[in-house]
Amino acid sequence: MSGPWFVELLARNGDVLQRQRVDRLPIRIGRGYGNDVILDDDYAAASHAVVEPDPAGGLVLRDLGSRNGIVVAGRRAQEAPLSGDTVVRIGHTALRVRAADWPVAPELPDRTFHRWEGGLPGGLGLALAGAGALLVRWLTDTEFFAPARYAEALAGGLAAALLWAGVWACANRLFGRHARLGRHLFVFGCGVTAVLAWALLGGTLGYAFSAEIFTHYGSHVATALLAGMVYFHLCTVRPRNRVRYRWVCGGLAVLGSGLILAGNLQRTGRLSDELYMSVLLPPGARVSPDHGVDEFMRDVEAMQGPLDRSRGRKPGDDEIED
Amino acid sequence: MRVSSSAARLLLIVALAAGAAGATLSIALAAGAAGKAGKTIAPRAAPAPQPPLVIPPATPPATTPPAPGPGETDETAALPTPSGAAQTLYSAAKADLLQIRMLLRNGRSQSSVGSGFLVGTGNLVLTNYHVVSQMALDPDVYVGEYVDTDGRSGPVELLAVDVLHDLAVVRVDRNGSGFFQVPETPVKLVQGQYLYSLGNPLDLGFAISEGAYNGVVTRSFYEQLIFTGPINSGMSGGPSVTAAGVVAGVNVSKRRDGELVSFLVPVRYAQELLRRAQAQPHPPRSFNPLIGQQLLQHQRALIDRLLAEPLSIRTMGPYQVPVRESQQLRCWGRSNFRAEAEYTLDAVSCAMEAALYVSDTQQTGLVSMTHQVLRSGSLHPLQVAMLASSRFRVDSIGTGRDPRLTRPACAEMFVHTATLPVRAVTCVRAYRKFAGLYNFTLLAASTDDAQASLLSRIDLAGVSYENGLRATRAFLSALGRNRPRPAARPGLPAGAP
Repeated sequence: MSGPWFVELLARNGDVLQRQRVDRLPIRIGRGYGNDVILDDDYAAASHAVVEPDPAGGLVLRDLGSRNGIVVAGRRAQEAPLSGDTVVRIGHTALRVRAADWPVAPELPDRTFHRWEGGLPGGLGLALAGAGALLVRWLTDTEFFAPARYAEALAGGLAAALLWAGVWACANRLFGRHARLGRHLFVFGCGVTAVLAWALLGGTLGYAFSAEIFTHYGSHVATALLAGMVYFHLCTVRPRNRVRYRWVCGGLAVLGSGLILAGNLQRTGRLSDELYMSVLLPPGARVSPDHGVDEFMRDVEAMQGPLDRSRGRKPGDDEIED
Repeated sequence: MRVSSSAARLLLIVALAAGAAGATLSIALAAGAAGKAGKTIAPRAAPAPQPPLVIPPATPPATTPPAPGPGETDETAALPTPSGAAQTLYSAAKADLLQIRMLLRNGRSQSSVGSGFLVGTGNLVLTNYHVVSQMALDPDVYVGEYVDTDGRSGPVELLAVDVLHDLAVVRVDRNGSGFFQVPETPVKLVQGQYLYSLGNPLDLGFAISEGAYNGVVTRSFYEQLIFTGPINSGMSGGPSVTAAGVVAGVNVSKRRDGELVSFLVPVRYAQELLRRAQAQPHPPRSFNPLIGQQLLQHQRALIDRLLAEPLSIRTMGPYQVPVRESQQLRCWGRSNFRAEAEYTLDAVSCAMEAALYVSDTQQTGLVSMTHQVLRSGSLHPLQVAMLASSRFRVDSIGTGRDPRLTRPACAEMFVHTATLPVRAVTCVRAYRKFAGLYNFTLLAASTDDAQASLLSRIDLAGVSYENGLRATRAFLSALGRNRPRPAARPGLPAGAP
């Protein structure tokens, strides 16, 4: 092991806060200005510790009689051998020492699409969010046309996008290097568009094919889509941990669905989101055929048995047959 | 004075407007239904915060009328002298007049109060069902007690109930003096004839009030007499007698939105109930099955009358909707023509104005229907669809977690009636306490037109399963369209190319 050496002051999560090159041993560490590495730490002594070569060819850190001492792996020690990965705490400062020949991991393949940053994706994300808000406004607008209502909807959509993406950009700046606001806006815009598209598609499928399951349990698909959006936000913050994020977001989706089911059960005593499919669409959207009144009344007749069985039970124990 | 008089006028207008809306106009037979159904005598008198009703005894207002001011005419001279008949009646009747209280078994604190009267020289007391409903439904929790005009009290034993006419017979541990005779033959009354209503209003003390008989009300399902006189909460179950002392009816309810519009149960229903109570060897162990049977009997009559003749068909825009308008089932219409909207909405809703009182939280035995037609020439079909969807959506049928009913079971389907394809939904809930009774709700939305939508809702509360099916089928089948469109043939998807 040969010089020069690098003393690295670390954050709690292992990030290097400050790196200082030292050309020769021993390396004196402390708060005083006579040291090689000066710690701005009120809990470090003026001359706190020194790094020296040990007979085996490695490095050793020795306490110079300080009051707070040096702590390695949670234990106070008089001296500590330093491999490149040993983190030592001096006062409130965590540090490690590595030599110039310390081997580093090979470079990661860069799959980030660097041209898709900044204004372009940001603008597109905002446009998607704004368009979504305008679409919802238009669909539910039954009053005479007033531009102010559309302006309000647009402003609301854009504000929501900026707020949500802004929070993620803050996190990105904190845990990554850059804010990447544009990317987060784009992720939000796509997520909102997906949820909205599902709301329309689910209703259309349910209505067209008389497949009520699409609207009875539609909120679970929306939950999965939102979990997917969070996944892309996380990947934007730290692209390295994709596999872990997949598990985290899968867990979030399951948790969200579970909460929805439990909430429905608690509130209404059934698992589905609604009592019946209330979606109505223009006649052109229909594919499935109409049934006769007799067939419908047979369905109604068939409900008597389960209802009579529920009658004898306690209010909370009704049959759940969704 | 101006302020208060204009406030009073405002109140009157509000009441009239509420009447026109139809929704709040029901005459509930009930008492404890205070905040819910509207205008009834609550047996629950507010106990504590009463203003002191102190009248200076030295100066009776009638004896020293104030001298008329300049320019005033002395109207007080034209007032009749205080009714001698009422004085005579009250002093003769007071020995047989009782207050009936429902007490919690645990702690014996009173939960509701009403009135009652001893019939003849026996120990049977006639009162309203709604006065003793807690005791009838939950005998483990509630117990009854009577208090007479001298303040003596004793236990009461429930013998018979008639939910349909809101009557009950209880037995007490003393005998009547024979003043209140329930006549064997129907009492003949003349409109305008004086009646005197006795009871214990608001738990303040026994009282007699004078009013006039004004015929038989036809709005309620079961016959009731209109009494134009004051009846207050707590007087429920008390007798209303003629000047000769013959019992004409039993105080039961009043209209909250009116003035002095009160109702009496005709005494001939009491005769039947008294006969039944005397004939039975011992009181029933549980009243729940009995009440269930009476409710079943009510719904048979109700649905038979509803479907006795074909439903009348009304035309609303392009659609034909079934309604039944009768003395009991009143229809009200409304429209959004003054709203700043790109669509027109016309609605007609018919509802029975009288429900059967089962308990202070449960009323049943009624039918209501609402049809809405919305049309727009300028909205996009998708916007019309969204609007119709939001009006078609009902989050819960009745209260979501109602312990007295089961969770709703729903059937949903695209159905084609004779002339109209609709999305039909029927939700049914069963009564837990009363076997064989259900609440049916039919929701239907037309699916034939991109620019118009018919949304119908029929509610049948407290019906048997067969009758629910029968009425649901009748209403669903009667939904139709004026001129059938070429594409809308049975079996084919409406609007499909």
